[in-house]
Amino acid sequence: MLTLTIDRSLENPVYQQVADQLRWLVASGALSAGTGLPSVRQLAGDLGVNLNTIARAYRLLEGEGFLIIRDRAGVVVAEPAERIESSARDKLLAEVRATLARLRQAGMSTEELLTVMQFEVLEMDGGGRENDDE
Amino acid sequence: MNDTVIDLFFTLRVFVVVGFLLVLPRITRRGLLFGAYIGEASAERDAVRRLLGDWYLGCVMLMAVSFMVGFTISFSGWAVAGNLIGTVVLLLGGLVLYLRFHSRARELAPPAVAQQAKIAVAPLQAGEPEGTGLAKLALSACLATSIAVFVYALLSLEGTRSDESFAHIMFVPSLNLLISPFTALLALLTAKAKRSLRGGSGGRSVEAQDAFRATMTNVASWTALLICAFMALLSIQVIRLLHSEIDSLGLEVWLSAVAVFALILANLIRVVKSYGQGGALLETGSAEAPLTDGLADNARWAWGLFYVDRNDPSIMVESRFGLGYTFNYGNRISILIVATFLVLSLGVVTLVLVGILR
Repeated sequence: MLTLTIDRSLENPVYQQVADQLRWLVASGALSAGTGLPSVRQLAGDLGVNLNTIARAYRLLEGEGFLIIRDRAGVVVAEPAERIESSARDKLLAEVRATLARLRQAGMSTEELLTVMQFEVLEMDGGGRENDDE
Repeated sequence: MNDTVIDLFFTLRVFVVVGFLLVLPRITRRGLLFGAYIGEASAERDAVRRLLGDWYLGCVMLMAVSFMVGFTISFSGWAVAGNLIGTVVLLLGGLVLYLRFHSRARELAPPAVAQQAKIAVAPLQAGEPEGTGLAKLALSACLATSIAVFVYALLSLEGTRSDESFAHIMFVPSLNLLISPFTALLALLTAKAKRSLRGGSGGRSVEAQDAFRATMTNVASWTALLICAFMALLSIQVIRLLHSEIDSLGLEVWLSAVAVFALILANLIRVVKSYGQGGALLETGSAEAPLTDGLADNARWAWGLFYVDRNDPSIMVESRFGLGYTFNYGNRISILIVATFLVLSLGVVTLVLVGILR
């Protein structure tokens, strides 16, 4: 069974920890399109956090196209877009560039950066394939 | 009721309470000790073993003192007083014993435990939890039945003007209107109660707790239905008795009481034997992983009995001491439910006392 884990001792806000994990689970295919997620109340209760924290994470992911929030049907995982719009692509690539710059400044070499990027992409695809096999 | 029966009830009560206290450490989740979270790694320490030895000794002493006080008064000719005072000694003594051991257990928690308490795990499950349907059905049935019996009792008051008759006729229907829907409401809240999961893989922990929560929901739903049926029968018989339609309550009432009590007790024994606290006996595979989600945070528990977290939207959470679930006293809805129940209970008791004393 898939689970979410939060750690209040981390610097990352809880809503961001929730969003990061859900984002990865969707991207890796562990959560496939159309899969229902727990309601805001249920997830907030299970994690012992404020309702607004989970609502904020869900809204963020809805804005990014990962989730669809419906009043009655609850929260479901969205289908991935068929093609990326150029404005969205530019914005996301800018974020990747910023992250790469931070990693380089933190001391990672070009080889290390390439290895890490390759590993993460394969990991994401591997998660999806494993899920399909199940 | 003669003195021997009263003494028998008292003896049974002492054995049930002390027996439960003796069994508790054996069914408790790994890492919890007398309502305090001491961490999974501490469970096998010598200090813990010594504490458990002292607990068993304390329970035996509690039983001896309760019997001594109860029977000394009972054999002096006051059986009812002996029963009551012996029970008060048993319950207060049990509470003092628990609080003493809780404070000793908290001292055994290493600093790492506070760090573990900051981690929370939640399963990504959509949909209504198992048992919700039965709990909703029980709530509707209990409300409908208890209101119908209450109205029937009110109608039967025609021609009865004395306050004492009013109190006698309305006592059981009022109690039923309060207790059985409240028990069914507890079942419904139990179905959605907060689970305290273990970190790591977590999978078995989720399954174990889901199984335990569904079972507790079903037990509470059936308990509500049984109590409602019994009290409806008792209400009707009391009304018939007070209207001189029958000479006594009848054997069926007593047999029903024994059957309801036996069924509830059997259900609880089954849960204790098969599941343990929060499904602890089912999660043996992942029992070594640290406990999370509130149950691990000593700061959120007052004396290991009362959970208080204003940020947690849960109405009910898994108990730290004992079996089952407790309210989150940091939640306004929980406080409202408990306060409403207490005020209504007080109202029913006042109604009867005023009726009898006037």
